[in-house]
Amino acid sequence: MTTCIACGMPMAKPEEHAMGDVSKNYCVHCARPDGSMQSYTEKLKSLTGFIMKTQAFDEKVARKSAKEMMAKLPAWKQ
Amino acid sequence: MRQGVRIGQKQHTRTVLVRAALVRFARDGLAEAKTSDIAAAAKVSHGTVFVHFSSRESLLSAAIEEFGAKITKRLHELVEGGSSVGAVLRAHLEGLAQFEPFYTRLVTQATVIPVAARSTMVMIQSAISFHLSQAAEHEMAAGSIRRMPLSLLFNTWLGLVHYYVANKDVFSPRSSVLKRLGPELVRHYMTLISA
Repeated sequence: MTTCIACGMPMAKPEEHAMGDVSKNYCVHCARPDGSMQSYTEKLKSLTGFIMKTQAFDEKVARKSAKEMMAKLPAWKQ
Repeated sequence: MRQGVRIGQKQHTRTVLVRAALVRFARDGLAEAKTSDIAAAAKVSHGTVFVHFSSRESLLSAAIEEFGAKITKRLHELVEGGSSVGAVLRAHLEGLAQFEPFYTRLVTQATVIPVAARSTMVMIQSAISFHLSQAAEHEMAAGSIRRMPLSLLFNTWLGLVHYYVANKDVFSPRSSVLKRLGPELVRHYMTLISA
């Protein structure tokens, strides 16, 4: 099973890949409507919002956590 | 070719060390497990640990990250697309039960977790909150569960699970608390949130 390079989500099925295209190494949640991968800024914003919405983290803590999580992922590693 | 073999052996030793660390940290504690015991369990010299990891804390971070990758993958395998809230909760407990001793340490010794590895804990909780939120939004719209903030829905569940995990010694001293009492926790929680 591959994992999304941009958010780390496992991708077990074709429909979990962007546009259902298994040659894409990022998931459906990290793709823009046109199928291209979201930018670092877009992903940081959506991940921060997700952590706040589902776990009620303080905004600054959520953003810091999102940054730390993203720093470990292939798409965003320095 | 020889260099490739060396890299492969190095990666293999690192993997063996991380696996041994997962077992020893779970058994002895995040603060208590000794690198010398981990080395012995991995059948390498004590010094080899520090060829691969700059410090004990770095080895603990690697173990937590390995656990995070395993549990996230397992949760994803267990939760089918379109699962109900109840099915997500059961999958959550089934996934955690497979790694219960290590997860218990993470819950009860949270202050010992290296700062570098704390985001792994957020990643694990985000994986389950993602699946739970998807199922819950669908069921709230259908009217089968009550409307409430997704964060409270998730945090209430996690609070319940962590209370039982952290106090396993009184609830289930001889066996997995999640396997023994998990079905009852899911039934109770579903009763609380049902419309």
